[in-house]
Amino acid sequence: MNPRVLVITGAGGVGKTTLSAALGVTAARMGLATCVMTVDPARRLASALGLESLDNHPEPVTAQPGLSAAMLDVSASWEAMVHRHAEPEVANRLLQDPFFRALADRFPAAQAYAAGEQMSEHVESRRWDLIVVDTPPAGGGLDFYTAPARMREVVGGRLLRWLTGASIPGRRALYKVTARPALRLADAVLGGPLLEEIAEFLLDLRSLYDGISRRSRAIDLHLREATSIVVTTAEPTPLREARRFFEELESGPGRPETVVFNKQLPESWTVSRNLRSPDIGTDVRIAARENLSRWAAEVRLQHEVKQEFVARYGLHLLEVPWVDRSPTSVDALAELLEGSPELVAHVLGPTSEDR
Amino acid sequence: MVRARLATGGLALNRGRPTLAGMLDRKMTFVSGKGGVGKSAITASLALLAARRGLRVLVVGMVEGIGAGLHLATERLEYIPHRVRPGVTAMAVNRSDALDEYLRLQLHVPRAAPTKVLSRALSVLAETAPGIREIVTIGKPVYEMWQGKYDLVLVDAPPLGQLFSYLRAPTTIAELVPAGPIRAQAERMSSALADSEAVSLVLVATPDELPVLETQAVLERLDAEPVVNLEAVVANRILPELLLDEPDLATLPDGPHREAAEHHLAVLAQQSRWLDELPDGPRLPYLFGIHTPAEVAEQLADIWDGEQ
Repeated sequence: MNPRVLVITGAGGVGKTTLSAALGVTAARMGLATCVMTVDPARRLASALGLESLDNHPEPVTAQPGLSAAMLDVSASWEAMVHRHAEPEVANRLLQDPFFRALADRFPAAQAYAAGEQMSEHVESRRWDLIVVDTPPAGGGLDFYTAPARMREVVGGRLLRWLTGASIPGRRALYKVTARPALRLADAVLGGPLLEEIAEFLLDLRSLYDGISRRSRAIDLHLREATSIVVTTAEPTPLREARRFFEELESGPGRPETVVFNKQLPESWTVSRNLRSPDIGTDVRIAARENLSRWAAEVRLQHEVKQEFVARYGLHLLEVPWVDRSPTSVDALAELLEGSPELVAHVLGPTSEDR
Repeated sequence: MVRARLATGGLALNRGRPTLAGMLDRKMTFVSGKGGVGKSAITASLALLAARRGLRVLVVGMVEGIGAGLHLATERLEYIPHRVRPGVTAMAVNRSDALDEYLRLQLHVPRAAPTKVLSRALSVLAETAPGIREIVTIGKPVYEMWQGKYDLVLVDAPPLGQLFSYLRAPTTIAELVPAGPIRAQAERMSSALADSEAVSLVLVATPDELPVLETQAVLERLDAEPVVNLEAVVANRILPELLLDEPDLATLPDGPHREAAEHHLAVLAQQSRWLDELPDGPRLPYLFGIHTPAEVAEQLADIWDGEQ
């Protein structure tokens, strides 16, 4: 049986990486052989997990038996991908091509696609009971879902059809009589062999199509079978990105049905209470009251935003309280979720099939 | 004139060299920051402020979507500039219009000749070719600056992660193309961006770990390759001091007052730790409670105004 996959998505800065690590630690403590796949973790979190020198290969986390961790290395993943899917000669040419490097570095879905390939590899290795995937923040996390299809488009879509002038795949010869004359003309105007070189590069890239097509469909399948949760805070920017998940992602299996609001302040702060005690100085009382009323306004705002959000998309709402200090040890990571038993039960409890 | 008056000003909050005048007294200012730190709100607030001072301002959203437009109380910015507030005109770059304009107005590709082929070739290749999409996008605000219809072009620039590939695009293209109009244009653009009298960059950060680390990475990169002049790093959402100390806190009973005070102190401590890692620059306060995006921009503009 394939392992359970938990995909944690959301905008950058909402605490996705920390939550993924916390879920990983919690799952390992429940006895599940767990692998957390993370992207670019913050320094302190990395050291909490002992992730100084991690790469695509999962390593056991010394501080937490049962837990392994891997960190996405985008350029290594791309290199591996090229070697997997291309003839050696083409692979070497591609890896040296400046356009290819630019594509790997900068194509918005590149990191997301590389993460998808890594996820599939870990799923198919069947070494784990649970894989927690902390997704790259590109496109508010949405890129992770759309990257497989977009990669297919990049290596075999519109571009190539245009260059070869027909839908017959892999006909390099055709390009010479269709697009190339036009590109040469264009290059003559622009002042260099820019477009022609790009076209040659794209034709090389085309040879990856069959491999990438197969692989990317496997990623799609794993994504459909995964449990996905969207993490956000009540701040406008992450929330706007979270909204895109529910508006742009087609409904169906794999589409997140749960939203986790992270960094939530206690609702009890909005209930006004008197602060009368002979031991409290007047200045202290005034300052404390003023401070509470400012934060109560924040809590009310968070509350409104949350309710509106879950009501609009009919979602399951889970919350994780604000913590004053970001966790710097596996114990602190586990503690983070102690206040959110519902979240743990939801994502780590028995699945509907098990029940 | 207006410019001369601005040039004498400075921010009181500002403990270093960067000044508000430095941000407004340019032909073009880029505003960037990690996603979610408030860069669009700050872009909008600077636009409102410049307009209050009698400047004709164009706000350019460089990434499609909402951005600064939301803070200027318009639903969505169009490619055609629209007046959104007195003295403030706003637009958003959309790639296909920008590409068309780039070919016609910037490269002067004759309409009859292979423009159609070119624009088709470029539009499909722009997805993959390094620098093309970026140069076309950044070309728009630069073009508006050259046209000189506005006193100040304020650019709501792409977030930090993508910023450099846009700012460096003209240089990238000039390196890739050996000769001809694209190269000539790219060179002209890269020297325009590097002109520190005319163009500046403002980075926005909140005093949190990731925004600060990402900002530092960009600062290092700018140091190594000064494609544009850095004017200021604005620290946003700074909490007010709490007029209570630890012994005061101990007199408070358990409950919301004490919790909120402890929370405030904890966040303050975190903020001051990360604030120390940022270069000196203007600081903007945390705005508590409910604010619409337009209110946030107005309030920030008032704060800038008050500090001047």
